[in-house]
Amino acid sequence: MNGLPLFWDIFLTSLVGLFALVCVFPFVLIVIISLTDEMSLAKNGYRFIPKQWSFEAYKYVFKGSSALGQAYSTTIFITVVGTVAALAIMSLYAYALSRKNFKFRKFFTFFAFFTMLFSGGLVPTYIVVTQLLNLRDSIWALILPMACNAWYIMILKTFFKTSVPDAIVESAKIDGASEVRTFLQIVLPISLPGIATIALFSTLGYWNDWFNALLYIDNAEIIPLQYMLMKIQNSMDFLRGNINAVSSAESLKAMQQMPQETARMAMVVLATGPIVLAYPFFQRFFIQGLTIGAVKE
Amino acid sequence: MNKKKLIAIVLSLVVVGGLFGGCGKKEAASTASSSSDGTTDVAKLEPYTIKWYTIGTPQKDLAAVNLEVNKYLKEKINADIEITQFDWGDYEQKMNVKINSGEKFDLAFTCSWALDYKTNAKKGAFLAVDDLMDKYGKDITKLIDPNFISGNKIDGKLYAVPNNKEIGQERVFRFNKKYVDKYNIDVTKYNTYESLEPILKQVHEGEPSLVSPYRMGVVELNYDYLIEGLPIVLDLDSDIDKFENWFTSEKALNYMDTARKYYKAGYIRKDVVAALKNGGDEDKTGNWFIDTAGTQPYADQLWSASFGYPVVINSINPAVTNNTSVSGSMIAISATAENPERDMMFLNLLNSDVYLRNLMNYGIEGTHYNKTGDNFETQTQEGINNYTMPAFSVGNTLITYLPTGTPADKWKKFAEFNKNSKNSPMLGFDFNTDELKTEIASLKSVKDEFNDALVSGSVDPKVYIPKCQAKLKAAGIDKVIAEAQKQYDAWKATK
Repeated sequence: MNGLPLFWDIFLTSLVGLFALVCVFPFVLIVIISLTDEMSLAKNGYRFIPKQWSFEAYKYVFKGSSALGQAYSTTIFITVVGTVAALAIMSLYAYALSRKNFKFRKFFTFFAFFTMLFSGGLVPTYIVVTQLLNLRDSIWALILPMACNAWYIMILKTFFKTSVPDAIVESAKIDGASEVRTFLQIVLPISLPGIATIALFSTLGYWNDWFNALLYIDNAEIIPLQYMLMKIQNSMDFLRGNINAVSSAESLKAMQQMPQETARMAMVVLATGPIVLAYPFFQRFFIQGLTIGAVKE
Repeated sequence: MNKKKLIAIVLSLVVVGGLFGGCGKKEAASTASSSSDGTTDVAKLEPYTIKWYTIGTPQKDLAAVNLEVNKYLKEKINADIEITQFDWGDYEQKMNVKINSGEKFDLAFTCSWALDYKTNAKKGAFLAVDDLMDKYGKDITKLIDPNFISGNKIDGKLYAVPNNKEIGQERVFRFNKKYVDKYNIDVTKYNTYESLEPILKQVHEGEPSLVSPYRMGVVELNYDYLIEGLPIVLDLDSDIDKFENWFTSEKALNYMDTARKYYKAGYIRKDVVAALKNGGDEDKTGNWFIDTAGTQPYADQLWSASFGYPVVINSINPAVTNNTSVSGSMIAISATAENPERDMMFLNLLNSDVYLRNLMNYGIEGTHYNKTGDNFETQTQEGINNYTMPAFSVGNTLITYLPTGTPADKWKKFAEFNKNSKNSPMLGFDFNTDELKTEIASLKSVKDEFNDALVSGSVDPKVYIPKCQAKLKAAGIDKVIAEAQKQYDAWKATK
């Protein structure tokens, strides 16, 4: 079909197929472990066909004693609100940059570009967010720091420049539309592919973020999903590693309070599940988006 | 052109301003004056909120207990506290960011294994508490073992208030009682790794499906470590006060040969190195016969209760007070605290007031626990689910109620344990490592590379110890030992 000799066709297909299998295999294992009975896991280890199946892990997780529900709603909230906010901020910025008759175009382009090269670092960022903006323990600390990404702005700028012909903007102006109206009613509708791509990148970024929660959130009620998972894993590693320092009776007690192996696997499945399921639908946009920032002709 | 110049000037001003703004923000802690004799007239005290960061899985009812504590504190010292708990794995990272950015808070949990006491004290993150303790913390000094104070002094000053608990480190062999009974073993006869051989053989032959007849754990050879994680030790069994390389010391070499023997005979599970990393599941399944652990009075009861099956113990070494065990749990006052006097008053109460201490430890009586005697309590289901604090981290443990069923003399035994714990000759010795940071980092990574494999017997010591030695030498172990010896001898001379 694609001109390769049959032997090479089979060989390459199976090679790539093998690679795909290797990628999928750990995730399938995780799903299976989450459905294994805890005791059988301890006695027999990880198996593809567990000696004993059990939904205990999911029951535990949904029972609510694990705060998973809250973490889920927090993550959904910051993903939705964050993506909307990020799109609003970045598309407005990028659109202004894309218009030739914007007087301060060079300055603002440089302003955004500069942040891609130099950054204050962790502690200054922390000081700005907590002391200047007073966002410690606020859910906005999970949304605002990621709402403006210079790279996405550049992508959007190029996209606006190349897919929105000057003629359209001109004709809108002649018809008496204000700048805002032009943007909202003329430019946005025809820029949907670009907006969708950046929306996708932002959504993934927000969904997977745990670092901002680590830094800024002390209140256990508004921690997002990924951070919660990471916390549990870190704490277990810490207690195991320090089992001699923390009196072993205490660390034993503390470890028993934490979700067991299968419950943690169940959490992983629930945390990554939505993205994995949604991905096939958005795959098209991703591939489009990868080239959308490229300079055309 | 003018506009460009203007913009350039503005930008450079912004950059320069940012440079200065980011420079150290450490403000000297306010030294509020107060009555010189240290007595507190509550009516004269201004209200104050004490921010306290401590370690542990955040408990659901922490806020409710916090409220109760505040009601009590208001009468006593006209203050309220704001407790925040950070999970075990995050605590250090979160606190480091807070300290580095100069955030204002009052109290923080510190110790040798989380938010390192020595490092942060030297950095200036903690206040020296000697004067404060003399004025407002007299009860603390009375109640805690004096070695807690002298062992934690850095350059003559104490930088955190130790939580009274077991002060020494004693390791024991733990035996799974099921097999002890089945094979009629007298556990008191076995207190060295070599001596375990006959009973390991017996149990291994009698129980072919037993995964870990000998379960790898901490290796106790009665050494005191110069720095945790480095293979440089002082032999506590001998009088020669010289540091040696653990991997070439006689006791360790004997141990590694024994471990290799046990591994080859099948007493140690084949995948032991992986199990060490992941913690293994033997705790839950009870699929083990002997292991080692650090103990305290009546620990065997605690363990039997936690595991769900009984264990018996036998001591390997007598209790030793060393630099790590003496700084196992402390509460420090931050250099950014605005009212350190009030913080010390609170710590004084926490360490001496029975009501407050038990409120912090067990929660609200009736809701989280019920008293079953003068000094006994039983946790309710709600207490178990919603309020279980790490007892050792929130003050003097010797004034807390005992769980029902614990022997009534437990705290007496603790006090005895502390008194009888021998001080390591190195107690209080602070090794200055400023010039040796690279060597120490490389030594740590060499130890991490070889330790688990050699100590578990899963590799042949004859082959690997020379390799390990070569790498240690290349990393500079001789230099570190020489420098440590020099400083140690000098420090000893001043005592």
